[in-house]
Order: sequence, then C-alpha cells, then structure tokens
Amino acid sequence: MLLSLLANPAVRADLYPQTTRTPRPLISKRRWLRCAEGVSLWLAVMLMLFVHPLYAEASDRQAGQAEEAGQLYLVDSQGNRQQPALVLDSEFQVRVSGLLADTTLTREFRNTSDSWHEGIFVFPLPEQAAVFGLTMTVGERRIVGRIEPRAEARETYEKAKSAGQHAATLEQQRPNLFTSRVANIPPGETVRVEVRYQQPVSYRHGEFELRLPTTLTPRYMPGEPVVEAATQWQSGWATATTQVPDAAEISPFTVRAADVDERSHRARIELAIESGFPLAGVTSPSHSLVTEADGGRVVVRPEGREVLMDRDLIVRWRPLTGREPTAAVFHQQWQGEDFLMAMILPPDVTGPVLRRELLFVIDTSGSMAGESIVQARSALLKGLDSLRPGDYFNVIQFNSQAHSLFARPVPAEGHYLARARQYVEGLNANGGTEMAGALSLAMAMEPAPAEGLVQQMVFITDGAVGNESALFDRIRTGLGERRMFTVGIGSAPNMHFLREAARWGRGEFTAVHNTGEVNRALNGLFAAMEAPVMSDLTVRWPTGGNPVEAVPARPGDLFQGSPLVQVVRGVPAGGELEVSGRLPGGRPWNTRLDLGNAAPASGLNRQWARGRIDELLDAARLQGEAPDEPAIVALSVQHGVMSPFTSFVAVEEQPARPAEAKLDTEAVPTLLPAGSRDGMLRYPQTATAWPLLAALGLSGLMLALAMLLLNRRPA
Amino acid sequence: MMNRLLLLLFGASATVLMFGLWIPFKALVAQELLALAWAETQARQVEARPWPWADTWPVARLELPELGVSMIVLEGLHGESLAFGPGRMVAGEQGPVILAGHRDTHFRPLEHLEQGHRVQLQGQDQQWQQYQVTGTRVVDSRTESIDTSTFGPDTLLLVTCYPFDALDANGPLRFVVEAKPVNRPVQKDTVAAL
Repeated sequence: MLLSLLANPAVRADLYPQTTRTPRPLISKRRWLRCAEGVSLWLAVMLMLFVHPLYAEASDRQAGQAEEAGQLYLVDSQGNRQQPALVLDSEFQVRVSGLLADTTLTREFRNTSDSWHEGIFVFPLPEQAAVFGLTMTVGERRIVGRIEPRAEARETYEKAKSAGQHAATLEQQRPNLFTSRVANIPPGETVRVEVRYQQPVSYRHGEFELRLPTTLTPRYMPGEPVVEAATQWQSGWATATTQVPDAAEISPFTVRAADVDERSHRARIELAIESGFPLAGVTSPSHSLVTEADGGRVVVRPEGREVLMDRDLIVRWRPLTGREPTAAVFHQQWQGEDFLMAMILPPDVTGPVLRRELLFVIDTSGSMAGESIVQARSALLKGLDSLRPGDYFNVIQFNSQAHSLFARPVPAEGHYLARARQYVEGLNANGGTEMAGALSLAMAMEPAPAEGLVQQMVFITDGAVGNESALFDRIRTGLGERRMFTVGIGSAPNMHFLREAARWGRGEFTAVHNTGEVNRALNGLFAAMEAPVMSDLTVRWPTGGNPVEAVPARPGDLFQGSPLVQVVRGVPAGGELEVSGRLPGGRPWNTRLDLGNAAPASGLNRQWARGRIDELLDAARLQGEAPDEPAIVALSVQHGVMSPFTSFVAVEEQPARPAEAKLDTEAVPTLLPAGSRDGMLRYPQTATAWPLLAALGLSGLMLALAMLLLNRRPA
Repeated sequence: MMNRLLLLLFGASATVLMFGLWIPFKALVAQELLALAWAETQARQVEARPWPWADTWPVARLELPELGVSMIVLEGLHGESLAFGPGRMVAGEQGPVILAGHRDTHFRPLEHLEQGHRVQLQGQDQQWQQYQVTGTRVVDSRTESIDTSTFGPDTLLLVTCYPFDALDANGPLRFVVEAKPVNRPVQKDTVAAL
C-alpha cells in the first residue's frame, strides 16, 4: 500500500542522505519534509480509521441481518437479493373508427435470468374498455385464450403452471385495473401476450379524445388492516383492509423509471384515426406527436421511438370548424342479430343564470404531492373565480381527516373569497385519502342561509383509492339534491372513479393533465355546471312493439357539449329514432334521426354487452344485493367480453418446463406517475454525502502529499 | 508545472474535505440553536423558528436513555430540516409518528438501538411519552413504502439509511426502528427528587 510505504521509516531513511547534498536550504527543507511526513502520517491514520470500519462492519452486519430482513426483499431460494429478471415491452396499436377505438396491446415479458419465471403485472386499461381477446405467443406458437368464469380460469392457469406448460391469464380487478400472469417463461426467452380491447371515444365540446393509461397512481387503502396469511395470488405492497379486501391485488409496487432496466417499461404507440371527416388537427397535452395524414386516415405516434410508461397518453382530434358531427348512427349484424349505436348532440342553449351553493372539495392526500397539488390548487382558484355575486361557497380539504374552511357556506364576497384564496394557496399534500369522511362532511353541511340555491359540489382528486365501490354508494345515497362534478388531477388519475362518481352524483367530470391545461378543462366543466342542457330524456327506438334493450337504459341529464350515446340490440337499421327532452327553462325539445343510412361498424355487440353488464351491476347496487353473476357470466362468454366474474386464460398443450426446474415468481412493478412526488409513499432520503466527501477529500490530500514527497526526492 | 498540479489537487481535496466536514458541523451547531428555540417553544407555547429564515421549527425532543442521546426533532421530512435535526412527520390521525434522520449525523446511534431499549419523546406540552423498541428491520425503499395503515396511531417509527457505514448517500436500504408506547406513569428524576 502506498500509504504505508510513505509512512515507512525505511523510506524516510534514504531521504536524509540525499537531502544533505544541498546544505543551504537544508534546515528549512528538512523541517518542511518532516512536517509533511507528520501530516501525511496523521492523514493516513485518519483515513485508515475511517475506511476500515466501512468494510469490516458493513460486511459483518449485512451477513448478520440478511435473514431477518429476508421477507422484505425479493429473495431467491439461495437467499440472494433478487434482481428483477423480467423486462417488459409494450406496444399499443390503436385503430379509431367512428365512435369506437380498437386497441391491440402487446406485452413482451423477456426473461433475462437463467431460471424459469412467472411474471405478474398489474396494469391499467381505459375505464370503459371492453376486453375481448387474449393471445399468447411463445416462439412461433400462438395460443388463443378463451373466456372462463374467474375461479375456473384461475384453476386452469394454476394447473398449467405447475405442469410446466406455457400459460397466460388476464383478470379484472377494477373496471380499469387488470392483472396479467404469465407462467413458465423460459430462461433467456420471451413470451408475448396480446390483449385486445375496445373503448368508446369521448366526444365533448366538439373535440374527440382518447386516453391510454400506462401506469397508475398508488392507491390509498382505507380501513383497518386484516391480518391474514399471504395467499399465493397476492402480489402487491398493500395488505388487505376491512374496506379493501383485495388491496394486495390492486397495489403493484411503484418504482421510479431509474429503478427498472433501461429497456423495460417503454411502450411503442401508434394510433390510426379513421374519422370519416376532415380533421383540423391532432393534439396531445401529454406527449408531442408525429402525425401523418394518408387519405382519410391519420396515423399518430408520440415523438421518439418509445415512450416511458409513466403517464396517460391523451390524443385529441378536432373536425374542421362547421363539420362537427351532431348526429351519427352505426349498424352491425352479429350472429344474426342487429346492433345499432346512435349519437345525438343536443343544441347549445344557455338557460337562466342560477344562484348556486358550491362546495369545493380538494384532495390533499400524499398521492397528490408534487405536480398534482399545484394543478389542484390552480383548479380550485379557477373555481373560486367562477363564482358570481349571489352565490354561496365553501372549501373542504381532506387527507386523513376532512377540514372545512368555513363552518357553513358563505356568500361569494370580497373578504370571504380573499380568505379562501389564501387558504387554498397554503394547501399541502400529505397523509391518507379518507374520502368517505370528506363526503360526509360535505353532505352534512348546514345549507347556506338563502332560498332557491342550486346545490353543487366540485370534487378535485386523483381518485387514488381502493374503496371506489363503497364511495359510489355513499354518493348515491347521501347526495340528495346536490350534483357532484369531479376534476381529475395528475398524469395517471383513476378515471374509473372520476367518471362513476360524477355519474352517481348526476354531474360531469373532467381531467386536468398538466398545469397549462387547467383553464381549458375547467372552462368546459364550469360551462356544464351552469345548467344541464337537457333533462327528462326519452329515447324511442322503432322496435315494432318489442321491448327495447338499450344501454344505457336510462340516460341521465345531458350537459353542454356532451352527446347522448346509446347502443341497442335487436333493432334493424331502418325507421326513425325519436329523442325528446326538456331544455333549460322547461321548453320541450325533440329530434328524429333516420336509422336507414347507418354506417357499417364492428364491435357494437361487445359495446352493448359491456354496457349490459354495467347495467346489471348498477341494478344490484341500487337494490343493495349481490349482482346476478350467472347472467353476467353468460353475457360475457356469449360476446367474448371480460367482466368482473370472468377471465381470459390461454394454455399451451405441451409442457415446456422440465419437472426438476424451479419456477420463480416476479411481480413486475409499475412506474411512478410523472410529476408525482413520492411524499408519504416512500421512505425519505436519510443519508448525507459527508462520509463520501470526507473520504474523497482525505484520500485526495494523501495523494497530494505522497506526490509531493516523491517529487521532493531529487533523482 | 508539477507544483501547480499538486497545489490544485491539494486545494481541491481540502475543499472537498471542508464541504464534507461542514455537514456534521452544521448538524452539531444547529442542535445547539435548536435547543434554544425549543426552550422558547415550550415557554411560550408557540412555534419558535430557530433562525429567522428557517422553514422548519422544533416540535419535540427525542431521548434514547440507554445510548445517552438527546436531540431536538424538527417538523417535516424535507432535506432542509434533516440537515439540522431529525424530522417528524405525522401520518394523519390514524397513522404512526415517523421520525427520520441522517444515518451519518443525528441518527448514527440508532445502529446500537436494540429491542427493549427505551425511547422518550417530549412534545410541546412538556409531557414525556415513553416508548419501547419492539423491533428493528431493514427495508428496501424501492419496493416497500410506508404503509401507514398497518401501524397504530401510537406507533413511533425511527427511519434512517442503511447500512450505517456506506458511502453512497442514495442507497435504497432503510433501517426502521419500531417502538410502542409504554403505559406506565412517567417517573422523571426531578419528580423523584422532590
């Protein structure tokens, strides 16, 4: 070691005779040298003291504690820290035609280790997705999955897994959250799983929008934890609670993009839009796009070959001004049955200005930390700006508890507004997401001391909760006359919660993707909140006396800029559709739509089946009983559309894994949504750089001194 | 030429060393200032900031009697507060109290904390809450987060980085000490003397 060499007296000894050759600077030089030696000796000792324990203790402790900490690591059978073995590749091929978007989502599980693996991946899909296909590809072989009741599918998969066969399954945890499992991925090889789903395209305020979620915001699980042994199907970080019994299944580990393999969690995305009318432009608030027009077809890709799966991809397209469709009919014949889908846009009318009592409820839980709380605050400030004299308002924030700014709604006047603005600007994100408490507080709040106010609630949140269903019940039963409007925040909000909460609250929803978008999103919402454009809607299909099977069976009130969309079974493409309703102010309105010139389409039967399943689930909720499972399973199997009670499973006949080879299971994590700060969800950074800096500094000083000493030694 | 290089190396190393040593020095000195602010906090029952531009304030005093350690705890878990003392975060009404500190400054002694050791926390109301260490464990912060729902509201968690002697300040491992309150009456030395 260089250091000991320098401190060695033998080296010093031969320094002396040589320095004696030049007598004059002898004294000072020798003193200088001795001084330098002394310092270097001390530095060496310090460095030794400093560096030694790093090795000795660290290795000691790690060996001693590895087992104790074992359950918290991903550990293989030899007790080694498991490095992620699976690399995940995704490809979205989307084809938009008419009002439906059909997506082929291909996921590649690449096994980079030298042992057999099972991959588990919990991922989001659009909240209105109807999943209708699963295909597994191993090498050259393609295995088409079939739909089975959930429990049976699990059994089929488990059996194939232990028999060493290639197998894949897809299960629905929430309408927008799915789990895919792939068994027996051979070492060094790739298994490809292709999921096909369709979703309706949103058409509001003259603009079409499609949202492709790629990751999810970690959800909060309210309730007391239920202690139970981990089941083999468990894959998440959360444990079951009294309110979210399936917490473990909807809580994939969330990691930063830097924590996964640099080739993993990237997606290639391509959209082909066949709208049938000339487009004025295609835009996205989430990604920059490359657009190629090819006749009536527009192909859209995010810039760059691959995008990181850390945010929803949102694509919007707008027809040329004046060419916006106000009505459309599509027809499909499937297994001898007719399916029709109709879209009708009510006229834009503004009613009388209403005086309102507005409750703003803002989510300040830990999952909102970072970019989200900034968006939420500016959304709320924008909401305060929209208040007019005569309105009453209040602000409620909630995380682990709910807190209201005023004891009861106050008039929208100068000093109240000023206080509210100050309050909102000081809001920080922290803690849990106890939404039920916030709803109770809002619902139980004493009404404003004024007559004839329209009661509304604006709920600003990322929807990152696990107990959606209980909250919908709460909203349905407790809201009374009040309407609830939801504003989604962040780069991966839970759109299922936002859409359904607004539906049960007889309101509308919107989503803010980034801070620059707050104005655009909220202007639309506040315009809608002025008044529903159309109420008491009645839709009459030319059924010839037969009972009509339309979904949604009872469309709610229509808000400004939103169309009525209905899918019906058993009505041929002929005759007239009649829609009537009441405009604001009570004027009646009706229109007729000729079904004779319906455009051909595909996937309508699946859209209808998915809608029908939702209706059955709604009916069960309204009656407070268990859903009609056999009917849902029958619908699901008949139309090949997934439901909460059915799953897809694909199994290869021939076993691939030798009986003696072991199978490891790995849960593939999802990425933390862009712009969100870990906040409470992660452990804080609890080390400083000082030991490193000190070590660097000391060794640098040592090196300098060593060089100095060597340099002083004349040749 | 050589001399210049040497001088440069020497200067650079000394600077790096100084920056390095500045961190524990700051941590040490800040605690003294914090002790004054804490006394003021208790006397006046207000949030006294230790220095005018501080964006944090003392919220508790933490003592580890077996290790003879006493320090002032600050509000918040951000880097700014952790530089001067352990930070506190209350994870809501239902969640545990979480204290986090740097493994190489204030929370260095945690290394020697064992099951059964006492931990005392004094709040703004001057009341001492007694805790007893129920366990320590190492977690990987990449794959595990603090699930506040699994701890009772009375739990105290002390969090620091792990391993204690690592040089890498961005390591993923964390050392977590879990302590539960002890429900026996507080026997303060001064009370006993009276």
